[in-house]
Amino acid sequence: MKDDIEKIAQPEKITLPQMLDFYPLEDEKNTRISQFFQNLKMGHLTTTKCKSCRSVLWPPRVVCSNCMSDDLEWVNLGTEGELYAFTEMKAGAPLGFEKDLPFCIGLVKIGGLLLSSRIDGVRYEDLKIGQKVQLKVVELENDGRVFYRFKV
Amino acid sequence: MRKVAVVGGGATRCGKREATWRELAQEAGKAMFDSVMNLSPNDVEALLVGAAQPERFTFQVHVAPLVAECLGIKPTKVIAKTELMCASGQAALRYAWACVASGLCDVAVAFGVEKMYMQNMAEAQTNMTCVLDREWDGVNAMSAPPFFAMTAQRHMHEFETTEEQMALVSVKNHHYSTMNPIAQFQKEVSIEKVLQSFMIAPPLKLFDCSGITDGAAGVVLVPAEDASKYTDTPMLIAGSGQANIGNAVNNLASISEWIPLKLAVREALRTAKISLADIDIAELHDCFTISELMEYEAFGWCDRGKGGKFIEEGEPYIGGTVAVNPRGGLLGCGHPLGATAILQSLDIMKQFQGDVPSGRLVKDAEVAVAHNLSGAANVHSLMVYRRG
Repeated sequence: MKDDIEKIAQPEKITLPQMLDFYPLEDEKNTRISQFFQNLKMGHLTTTKCKSCRSVLWPPRVVCSNCMSDDLEWVNLGTEGELYAFTEMKAGAPLGFEKDLPFCIGLVKIGGLLLSSRIDGVRYEDLKIGQKVQLKVVELENDGRVFYRFKV
Repeated sequence: MRKVAVVGGGATRCGKREATWRELAQEAGKAMFDSVMNLSPNDVEALLVGAAQPERFTFQVHVAPLVAECLGIKPTKVIAKTELMCASGQAALRYAWACVASGLCDVAVAFGVEKMYMQNMAEAQTNMTCVLDREWDGVNAMSAPPFFAMTAQRHMHEFETTEEQMALVSVKNHHYSTMNPIAQFQKEVSIEKVLQSFMIAPPLKLFDCSGITDGAAGVVLVPAEDASKYTDTPMLIAGSGQANIGNAVNNLASISEWIPLKLAVREALRTAKISLADIDIAELHDCFTISELMEYEAFGWCDRGKGGKFIEEGEPYIGGTVAVNPRGGLLGCGHPLGATAILQSLDIMKQFQGDVPSGRLVKDAEVAVAHNLSGAANVHSLMVYRRG
């Protein structure tokens, strides 16, 4: 009977599927907030502001969550933020981020918002609540998509 | 609205189990049906299955019919999976309760299953990083441990809460879980052991965090007037509360105070027509030690910022102001996401029946609350139970 068992191939590794990629799709074919990423490529961290009720919205939106208007404009948040809280990932990073361990994550106050962000180039012991942090833009080597981070 | 009773239920042993998702469901289903007299799978009209991420952990969706098939249930009124991440089981309970209370059906099962141990645990960590807003928080590797680490840091910064006070929560809940045979963790931990455990995300260490857990559980809900058909010792659902504010970290009401929990508590007390002092047992969502301290505060057992002092003075132990997590909590029992709320309700029922070891028995308990938070503590869900 054992001779009748047919061996079939199974790939040892499967390419990381798009849905397990944490970075947002940023081109106009995939999102209506492509402008955010275009602005970021120019070094500007921006978000949407409602022209009707003046609410500044984060994350960027296509409809104002405060008044349901879809008449929104892009506003610049600046490049300097203040560290509200922080920690350091020592273990348990998701796929794709394991090689970065250990790394710092923080909550950054900027432009009246509270953004979560990677805090680059620093260890936990060297950070303080209230510390100033500077905007940094990172680009994915494989496809050129960009995202924001902060550095000391 | 009809009064609703829980008339029995069953659960698996929790932990790293050598069993598949559907085997866990079968184990819990058998335990559930074995525990309720005069009930067969054919009587079940509604089946709600709490499951947080079966599509990621087990690569299986449409899981409610899978449970129904495994247990021989052929629902005729309602069937669905309920997902509310760490509160998925409570979502199942709430909908099962609503189904019976509304008169839509007379027998509903609230079930919960989670299989979290995977061949590649990095994949499990990845799954847990799409809970918060994946594109804007998850992308920064913001999963529960770093989020609650920063919550703890803010609490320490604003209120001088200490790592030792947080460790006390772990010590207490591991103590009670040694007396719970289905708990994942069966050993006492000391303050020193917690403080010296592996740093996950400072200030949170390994024993500040609930485990990764496989487990399943189910309970049966019927109209209170029918309860005596199934058991002599039913548990009544007396009230509930649930509130949500925001999702992404930018849109939370506060980091260091859980305002949606305060709202949910107010609603739960109002609907159950009780005051805080009436609560004998509180099964609180101690996903991290800091969580339980903040929950003492949001419930109002102590002032804001005084959660650490509350446990230092022994108040959340049996015999104190309120018995918090005499089951062993998530820290001691493990946290099989979709099953957790069902496990809490089952243990409360056993407390009311006097069917737990004396070391963790809350004598003559009449009223209990069960609480689950989910996401960035932006959703809080509460059920109030009363001895039937």
